[in-house]
Amino acid sequence: MKRAVLLAVLLAVLPARQTAAQAPPSAGYAAYERANRLFAAGKYQESFNAVDEALRLDPKLAPALTLKAKLAMAANRYDVARESLERAIAADPSSWYAQFLYGFQFYRQNELPAAIQALEKARQLNPRDARAALYLGLAQESLGQTADALETYREAIHLGEVSGQLDVEMLLSCSRLLLRLGDFEECRQQIDRALKLAPNSRDPHFESARLLLKTGDAAASAKQAEIALTLRTGDVTDRQVHFLLVQAYQSGGREQEAERHAAAIRAIDERERK
Amino acid sequence: MHPAMAQIRFEEIAKKAGLDFRLKNSASGRFHQVELMPGGVAALDFDNDGCMDLFFTNGATIPELRKSGPEFWNRLYRNNCDGTFTDVTARAGVGGEGYSMAVATADFDNDGLCDIFVAGVNRNILYRNLGGGRFADVTAKAGLSGIDPERGKMWSISAGWLDYDNDGWLDLFVSNYVRWDPATEPACGTPQSRFYCHPKEYPGLPNQLFHNNRDGTFTDVSESSGIARHIGKGMGVAFADFDGDGFTDVFVANDSVRHFLFRNQGDGTFREIGLEAGVALREDGAAIAGMGVDFRDFDNDGRPDLVVSGMINDGFLLFRNLGKRSLFEDFAQRSGLEMSTRPFTGWSLGMYDFDNDGWRDLFFALSHFPALERYIGRSAALANRVFRNIGGRRFEDVSAGAGADFQLPALHHGTAFADFDNDGRIDAVVTTLDGPVKLFHNITTGAGHWLAVRLRGTRSNRQGLGAVVSVTLPDGRALYGHATTSVGYASSSEPLVRFGLGPNTGVKQVEVRWPGGRTQKLTDVKGDRILEIGEAKP
Repeated sequence: MKRAVLLAVLLAVLPARQTAAQAPPSAGYAAYERANRLFAAGKYQESFNAVDEALRLDPKLAPALTLKAKLAMAANRYDVARESLERAIAADPSSWYAQFLYGFQFYRQNELPAAIQALEKARQLNPRDARAALYLGLAQESLGQTADALETYREAIHLGEVSGQLDVEMLLSCSRLLLRLGDFEECRQQIDRALKLAPNSRDPHFESARLLLKTGDAAASAKQAEIALTLRTGDVTDRQVHFLLVQAYQSGGREQEAERHAAAIRAIDERERK
Repeated sequence: MHPAMAQIRFEEIAKKAGLDFRLKNSASGRFHQVELMPGGVAALDFDNDGCMDLFFTNGATIPELRKSGPEFWNRLYRNNCDGTFTDVTARAGVGGEGYSMAVATADFDNDGLCDIFVAGVNRNILYRNLGGGRFADVTAKAGLSGIDPERGKMWSISAGWLDYDNDGWLDLFVSNYVRWDPATEPACGTPQSRFYCHPKEYPGLPNQLFHNNRDGTFTDVSESSGIARHIGKGMGVAFADFDGDGFTDVFVANDSVRHFLFRNQGDGTFREIGLEAGVALREDGAAIAGMGVDFRDFDNDGRPDLVVSGMINDGFLLFRNLGKRSLFEDFAQRSGLEMSTRPFTGWSLGMYDFDNDGWRDLFFALSHFPALERYIGRSAALANRVFRNIGGRRFEDVSAGAGADFQLPALHHGTAFADFDNDGRIDAVVTTLDGPVKLFHNITTGAGHWLAVRLRGTRSNRQGLGAVVSVTLPDGRALYGHATTSVGYASSSEPLVRFGLGPNTGVKQVEVRWPGGRTQKLTDVKGDRILEIGEAKP
């Protein structure tokens, strides 16, 4: 998963005063709210200082502990994130968001059985959350639980539609698995929905190009991949798009075009090596 | 040919056969990268008695990288031709030095005796077979220590013999992994929970090519051939003339960076065309943790295809050679291999016709990295897998029926394939990390008829490596193979070219295209035997 996706997950709006926060705000709550605003604005150091202040005032303030975990994950300190989330969950066992992030950090660390356990618990606490379903599906797929993963992806999409949380990643996680399974029809449907949802993201165009190549339409595949290459938002790398273009142009007999994109990959590799 | 209904079955007989080798990797909880990687094994007939012998590579102490005692020796076992093996390491003088990884066997000096090249972290060794069960370390004289003027001794992880210039003498390709020093091993994971570092933590290395000077010495042509221009993280290496131009090409599986397909341009140089050919990356543009590779024809169209193993969630790769514009297509999804292999980490492998039905099947040596348990919630030890080739269209996992011994998990790594008991059914030897070797004796009942071709080059290299053999069945269909010992990961297999004939007791024609393009034909050949073909004098 790319850093952009990580930040998108971490920046997802935290519902105000969730679960235990139904109780009157504690001494540190104002500092926490300031920290949360700073986090959303990308001012991580200031946010960290504010969350520290919140926890000094109230060491068991679950939303502040959860925010501290998000800051730690953004800084790639998963050990700190885990510890904060464990404290947050101990302080407020009904916090689905802390539980979701707990599962998410296990997923990010590739600790898949632990991720599944935590994400299933998060889903019990909030069955309407689409993101918990998405990451549960991803963890299941990584462990080879293909049928479960597909079902969970479909549920994530459904929940996303109902809650207005539907995003491209939910649709494309499902479409990618369907492509692997050879269900090209449903794969096409999910990609089309993703294209409508985010026409300016390269990811759905890339997936569309993959499917077109797989189903034998090299020319249309190249066209989609060329569009993808012009788009800057998304998780798919330039290298991936160039390689798809190599394959599509080779299949279509346009060797010079293919060679041009192969050269682009070599140039990327060289830059990265240096 | 109608696919036979035979269930591929193996029994594990290493102990019974007297194979008591244990691979010792010196893992001590310090997560040194080298301890993940060893286990190369070779099947070779060093004494020309017609029974395939075995050579095992072994580790050494870390960080000294020394074989401090016999427990670290590489081992040579002679096949007694009665189902048992005898350890002849000491007499042969091949215990070795340094932390060994891989072995490549072939007759490099065309004297009729199979020689041994050992590749390793800090030492490469060439053993010349002197006959009489003795070998001499001729590394220095041959110029094959592998020490690069700029980089010093690179960590070599696989090697293979090929005659890239068709001069009748075998050259040596060495695949190098990453720059590694035990003194500067990076620490990965958290302090409480260390783990092996991802390969991205280590700089990659170029591979090496050594030209055989026909006098017992070699010239390093890595730069002039174009091979060294490409920095990778080399793992398994395999050879085939994939474009049918008469020159042997090279595929190198790389770990977490794109794979290399070196197209032999016939003038002593190679062009790396992995990207253009569509084999450098997985179809979605992801680089997988490539490990083992085999470069053979799975769909009987006469064009060598590629299979590459990888890590959990990679899905193993299968590239079908389309035979036009040097292009391959990703066939893993369509063949069923992608989804079937995603849960596994594969090391060595081989594409052989285990039931002799006329279609080459797939054998994978499997295991996750040690200490991966907490990440996947199950043991790193895995049972191996065998996939039956259904008419060249798809692969079906038939491991569950392959016998009780086949279900036992272990940290499987290297493989050598050969017919150790000369019954026509291909067997597999598999090394296990820090554990005993396994010999999977093929006991498939109802297997088809077979033909094995042993080549004897005169103008070509003595073992005919690189020669393409085709057989025409009575119904006119053809099967194809080529002679190579470079199969899988860090390992070496028998040089014979094998064909499963299904219900046919013989073939209408056998055609050999020797390196350089000369062809030779035999007609009405009976099966169920090893056919020796000597290269006709021009």
